[in-house]
Amino acid sequence: MGLTDNRMDFFPLYLTVKVSLIATVITVCAGGALSWTLARKTFPGKDIVDALVVQPLVMPPTVLGYYLLVLLGRGSGFGRFLSDTLGIEIVFTWKGAVVAAVISSLPLFVKPARAAFEGVGGDLENAARLLGKTEWEVLRTITLPLAWRGILAGAVMAFARATGEFGATLMVAGNIPGRTQTLPIAIYDAVQSGDTASANALVLIITVFSFGVIYATGRLMKGRM
Amino acid sequence: MLDLSLKKALGGFSIDVELSLGPELLVLFGPSGAGKSLLLKLLAGIIRPDEGRVTIDARVIFDGRMGVDAPMRTRRIGFVFQDYSLFPHKTVRENIAYGMDGLPPDETRERAAGLINVMRLGGLDARYPGELSGGQKQRVALARTLGASPRILLLDEPFSALDYQVREKLRADLLTIHRLYPITTILVTHDLEEAFMLGERIAVINNGRIEQVGTREEVFYRPATRNVARFMGARNIFSGRVEAVDAETVVIHNPDIGRISAFQPPGAAVAPGREVTFCIRPEEVIIIKPDKAVGGKDNENVVEGEITSVMAKGATHVLFLRAGERGAALKVELPNFVVRKLGLATGAVIKVLLKKESVWVIP
Repeated sequence: MGLTDNRMDFFPLYLTVKVSLIATVITVCAGGALSWTLARKTFPGKDIVDALVVQPLVMPPTVLGYYLLVLLGRGSGFGRFLSDTLGIEIVFTWKGAVVAAVISSLPLFVKPARAAFEGVGGDLENAARLLGKTEWEVLRTITLPLAWRGILAGAVMAFARATGEFGATLMVAGNIPGRTQTLPIAIYDAVQSGDTASANALVLIITVFSFGVIYATGRLMKGRM
Repeated sequence: MLDLSLKKALGGFSIDVELSLGPELLVLFGPSGAGKSLLLKLLAGIIRPDEGRVTIDARVIFDGRMGVDAPMRTRRIGFVFQDYSLFPHKTVRENIAYGMDGLPPDETRERAAGLINVMRLGGLDARYPGELSGGQKQRVALARTLGASPRILLLDEPFSALDYQVREKLRADLLTIHRLYPITTILVTHDLEEAFMLGERIAVINNGRIEQVGTREEVFYRPATRNVARFMGARNIFSGRVEAVDAETVVIHNPDIGRISAFQPPGAAVAPGREVTFCIRPEEVIIIKPDKAVGGKDNENVVEGEITSVMAKGATHVLFLRAGERGAALKVELPNFVVRKLGLATGAVIKVLLKKESVWVIP
């Protein structure tokens, strides 16, 4: 990355958008089911699941990255199963960046999504069931239409968090220019190599983007969009 | 037809209820925390009973032993929630049509229009629940429930959040609706006036158990237990020892109020020497005019007492007396004009008659 030959290398931007989009889709699907379960069901160990989901928010990203590296690398049985049996290489590929982004953005999605589901009150869903609706119809006609703001806000936050993911991504996907170098890592790289012009441009992109996201989310939650 | 027998333990509370209903409106009456709402939720399948059996028109919807537990959507139980639980993102019309599945569009439209008309919701069909008054929301909730053609209708304190006038009107509406759509209905309330006005039959529930089921007259004037007497506002409840009995009369002695004669309760012979409970409703106590001489046989059940307080209560006055041999607390409810005419005030000593036919012995 850099302006060394007087033209922008757009790969980190492209990779960041690709990784973040895929990560957000996974986060919304898995996190949606998780938030709904946490909002509606009681089961033994619920508090533990809750704590585990939120933990990436407070744990150093490098620690998270280290766990993922050990779990997904060839050193573990699971990692060997992925690579030998399924033929999926995760460590030091862009897929590793996706995994890191999903794990670190999950808590930011689950918090508002869960609150949104809880806000729909069980009596509304029971009213729909008693009016003859299946679980799927209840979800489609009552729960989602009433919870979508919170879910969308969570998705936007998750996407923003994914674009900014650095520590865990560096550990799992590494810093391979043209293959796994995302925007935040490219910024780090540019600063390290004294390429201030590149760093400034990239920092500006990220700053404007994250401000826009937080502003839009705030508006969304207040119902002005 | 609804037959139910349900048991459930929840924390320190347990409910164990059996009821059988025809195509009637039954009021489930009891104090807060008696298990009224819980019973409706068990019946609807919102909370799973521990054991029991529920049949609607001979169809089993729950049987703990046979493992039958029909999902809520197939039970065809209409449930009007205490907070109405209208869908806030749907209009009045959409709410009402929500449960009308499997009908052609124009029939749905016709049915919805019919309900909107019956429930006096004309002109409001494009509004959202947030734009309605409490009474209007209540009527939408009822229309939405009826729209799904339920076999059973459950109403959980439907009027508790409304002010007095709206409540009066809606009670009358409900009776009209019940005549129009005569479905088996259970209405939960802790409001005595409401229970009396709406209940063809009243089931009194306390602490998770049904204490009495009967017509409103039975429950009101012939309570089966001390609790029922208390909940029904009988207020003047005494215990005493049976001194004498004949074919139709029981003479009971209570040390505070004295000797009281009452009729034998039907179907339960009361033997001399037994401790029994008896009660008289405050509005059944008769004031004896000061100038009227009483004596002899007429003296039966006449009690003298001092008025300790007088309370205006809208159309009536409530008097508290210290009455009888050792000053039993007696509550008397009188029309305002009687209080005015006789100049009844705190400190006055008066005579009252506890008419024999008004005294009820709890068997």
